[in-house]
Amino acid sequence: MDLGILAQQVFNGVMLGVIYAMIAVGFSLFFGVLDVIKFSHGDVVTVGAFSSLGAVGIAGGLVALPPLLALGAGIAAAVAIGGLVGSLIGRFLILPLRQAPAVNLLLATLMAGTVLREAIRLGVPNGGNPKPFPALLPAGSIRIGSFSVGYDSIIILCAGLALVLATHLLISRSRMGLAIRAVAQDGEVARLAGVDFQRVVLGTFALGSALAAFAGCMLGLYYREINFNMGVLLGVIGFASAVVGGLGSLLGPIIGGFLFAGVQTLVVVVLPFSSAYKDVIAFAAVIVLIGLFPTGLIAERQSERV
Amino acid sequence: MFTKRQVLFLLSSAVLFGDWVASPATAKDTVKIAFIGPLSGGNSAPGLGGRNSAALAVQQRNANANAKYSYELVTYDDECKPNVGIQVATKAASDSSIIAGVTHYCSAVGIATVDTYARFGLPVVVWGAILPEITYGNDYKEIHRVNGTMINEGKLAAEFLTKQGYTKFVMIHDTTDYGKGQFKYFSEYLKPAGGEILATFPVGPDQQDFTAELTKIKELKPDVIMVGGLTPLGVRLRSQMDRVGVQAQFAGVSGIMTAGYIEGAGAAVEGTISFHNGAPLSKYAEGQAFMDAYTKAGFREDPDAYGPFAYSAANLIMDAIEKVGPDRKKVKTELNGTKGYKALVGEINFDDHRQNIMSANVYVAQSGKWVYWPESDYAAGKKKLAKD
Amino acid sequence: MSSFPTSAPSLSFMMRLQRFPRAVAAITVLVLLGGGALLIHSDSQVKVLGMLAAFLLVFALADRSAAGREIAAICGDYSRFSNALAMIAAVAIAIIFSGEHYTLLMLSTVALFATACIGLNIQLAFAGIVNFAGAAFFVIGSYTAGVLTSFPGLPTIAILAIGGLVTGALGLVLLLPVLRTRGHYAALVTMAFGLLLRTFLEVNDTLGGPQGMKIKGFSIFGIDFSRTNSIGPWDVSFYFPYAILSIVLFALAFTFASRLESSWIGVALDAVRSDETAASVFGLSIVRWKAVAFLLGNAIIGVAGAVYGMMNGFVTPNGAGLGESLLLLSIVVLGGLGNMWGAIVAAGIIIVLPEKLQAIQEYRLLIFAMLVLCILLFRPLGILPRPIRDFSRISDGREEGL
Repeated sequence: MDLGILAQQVFNGVMLGVIYAMIAVGFSLFFGVLDVIKFSHGDVVTVGAFSSLGAVGIAGGLVALPPLLALGAGIAAAVAIGGLVGSLIGRFLILPLRQAPAVNLLLATLMAGTVLREAIRLGVPNGGNPKPFPALLPAGSIRIGSFSVGYDSIIILCAGLALVLATHLLISRSRMGLAIRAVAQDGEVARLAGVDFQRVVLGTFALGSALAAFAGCMLGLYYREINFNMGVLLGVIGFASAVVGGLGSLLGPIIGGFLFAGVQTLVVVVLPFSSAYKDVIAFAAVIVLIGLFPTGLIAERQSERV
Repeated sequence: MFTKRQVLFLLSSAVLFGDWVASPATAKDTVKIAFIGPLSGGNSAPGLGGRNSAALAVQQRNANANAKYSYELVTYDDECKPNVGIQVATKAASDSSIIAGVTHYCSAVGIATVDTYARFGLPVVVWGAILPEITYGNDYKEIHRVNGTMINEGKLAAEFLTKQGYTKFVMIHDTTDYGKGQFKYFSEYLKPAGGEILATFPVGPDQQDFTAELTKIKELKPDVIMVGGLTPLGVRLRSQMDRVGVQAQFAGVSGIMTAGYIEGAGAAVEGTISFHNGAPLSKYAEGQAFMDAYTKAGFREDPDAYGPFAYSAANLIMDAIEKVGPDRKKVKTELNGTKGYKALVGEINFDDHRQNIMSANVYVAQSGKWVYWPESDYAAGKKKLAKD
Repeated sequence: MSSFPTSAPSLSFMMRLQRFPRAVAAITVLVLLGGGALLIHSDSQVKVLGMLAAFLLVFALADRSAAGREIAAICGDYSRFSNALAMIAAVAIAIIFSGEHYTLLMLSTVALFATACIGLNIQLAFAGIVNFAGAAFFVIGSYTAGVLTSFPGLPTIAILAIGGLVTGALGLVLLLPVLRTRGHYAALVTMAFGLLLRTFLEVNDTLGGPQGMKIKGFSIFGIDFSRTNSIGPWDVSFYFPYAILSIVLFALAFTFASRLESSWIGVALDAVRSDETAASVFGLSIVRWKAVAFLLGNAIIGVAGAVYGMMNGFVTPNGAGLGESLLLLSIVVLGGLGNMWGAIVAAGIIIVLPEKLQAIQEYRLLIFAMLVLCILLFRPLGILPRPIRDFSRISDGREEGL
């Protein structure tokens, strides 16, 4: 295969990996802090995408904005609304149900995701249709031989990587991050040490959801289209990446995200016919990996009181 | 204090009594007709256009004092999914107060539901699905169609595109029966017209990311990318083509000739070619009257490419009911023999498979609208197509 | 612990109830089923809302009042009688509505979904295995029926059995990951499987691709159910034989599951679910019981799916999605984890109500999701919580106000 085309496929894969990683990091954060899987996370991506679309639309309607400012407005809206939604769900749904059996919590968050999705579909005018997303990033592309990648893709990739790095720095270097890690390790003792449990938990939720909402905005910019269903598959892929990589750690979900995207890209490059099998094989790989490593590649340290 | 059982007894008798008392008194008999189409999702633009047009026809008929019956349009959303389509088709067909149906825009749904209508004996007139097998693939006397099929759209596509000088084609089609049918008929007519299909890519109708396929297509350097799918597929392909750096003429048949395509893909749609079995409204004798009445009725959505067909189908059914009464079997027999019926879209003649024969026309997306080719700037040479 | 009766009439009412337990059970069953039938049958929204209100009232009263609890307890005591009567009543209802297509279709759908939920209950409520691929296994059953009915020689009962076997066998693919994981990891594995199956079916053309596959009807002794338009001198809907079949199937699954629950296998499953470590200390093989529950549950789901496919005449990959699996799980949780009758009630609510209340059609998913959320927040045991094994009522010494 032509090297340029190959490079292009690899680039696509890396970009998808970053997006999956951003969503997976959220899952891992929530799990670390509360031992819960918040399944509405995938739909927070959709919320972020639609929020940014709405903000850009409204702001652009009021005042003619240069694309960069419009982009800023969109991102700000996405992050703010996404974070808010995430912490609201945490406050009213997950904190009360903390002690319930895992199935109930899973189901509850899945239903919360459905509520978000349906609210978008019903609330946005013509919400059932796919919506075009404005092209706010500079057009044009780099062409080296047959390798062509748009400036927008490069920007998205760099932004994603930067955010993941920033989250890592936040968790490992800042005071807030210290509090999060304390709560993740042992909630009770953290409380004894003076950490405000509720605030830290809700803050974590806001952080993870803001990341997901940003990913949604990026997806809109990349595909130039958003629809109310986009979060469903992403949520599952994000969850799968987080679990395969190892819940509770920060590196695990990132590895998981790139792994999933890697398998998808491999399938696309290697198989001559339709690329639609990429999901089939990627999920099969997930099942196999979980069978081999039941607690993830970076294993969760688990102890159980008998 | 009442015991639980007493309360329950009272409640149930109240309900039953209420039911008995509330039987409605009838004035002019109301006859129900079903309308089924995609009212939500990526294909809702043509679906709603069809529904509005059928509703307009019913409105006009009800305003006509000479009509023997008063009509009610019962609408169902098939979401362009075969399983939902069969569910609503079953619902409509098993409701004995519904006499006939104006059905389906999505071919994938249309072909899936033919058995259901035959099973329940509901006569239907298809208004938008173009898969030939819907009428030609069976011998059900219940299924009729007023719009044309992809046979002539595909033929015209092959002939027109090769006449423009394009020889190398790549086809992307969805894996539903619609997409597969498109591939079959287009490739059948392309060879004798002198074109060559370099590669075909079957994709799932819901697939989002086409960078993989488009990257491969880029390698092949075709003249034309022919899409065998509906609006969502067309929108996604067109938007992602530019980013991957594929330069080719984009074309498809009437599945993408919708307002949804233009809205979805934005500025990139300029120059897309489509083929449709209907003429522009201005060419119909009553086209202007229809458009005026439609605007006056205040519908939010445009009639879109197939609205006039839904309108004609509804009128065809209502005329049949006026003639033979609200009886499914009689309406079916009456519809079977339709010859020389004057409708908005021209004269309707059903052949031995209850299919109306139509001819196709070329359209091009120009300045945010679908324009009839002979009237377009491209035909006049003022604008150029890709790779001309 | 007994509490003094608060008023004399209540005491004598209770004694009257206890004197005619069978009559009480019979009346309760008939009233409930009759109400349900009316609900399915009515086509005016006012009537539907009225029936809904009546049902809510009944359930609220059953919970709160001592008389209500006593009636429920009596039905529980005479469960074999009540269940048999319920089945006969259901068949009678089907006969009464034998000409109405849509009513029978809904009746059958409710029964079949409830049957699938019995399978899910065995996995979840008994053995504690979370299965997010219920709809995928349901669809596997349908596809198996589709493939097998195209071979003219096979007897249809065999097709059902093979459908169950194939579904169970395909579940083996997941068995290892499911056994080795717990909680959300198991959820992920089954979710991934469901998505994998659905994508595969859509993408691969051998089983019809996104168009799905047509399935021939159920036929037994030469009578093709899908073509039966009359039985003797009466005109019936062709859904009628399917309705009877679905009720029979549900009854069989119900009997099987309750026998399972009250047997030592059921106790073993409960032990494994509650505390694996303790159970294994007592010598129970965790692996064996979980595997048995998982495979059995899937087989039941597969059989229900096969009948559903044959009744509808087609199956598409869309039916195997995550949303559909969630629907099944919601029916289980809503109805009450482990309670079979709860499954019917919840299936009725979730499947029938949106069809009847046209006004909420658009919002049905939203309302449904919020309903499940409310149940999970405020009444996590479901509408009809699973009755705890209570052997205290077997003896004659009954206690008031328990």
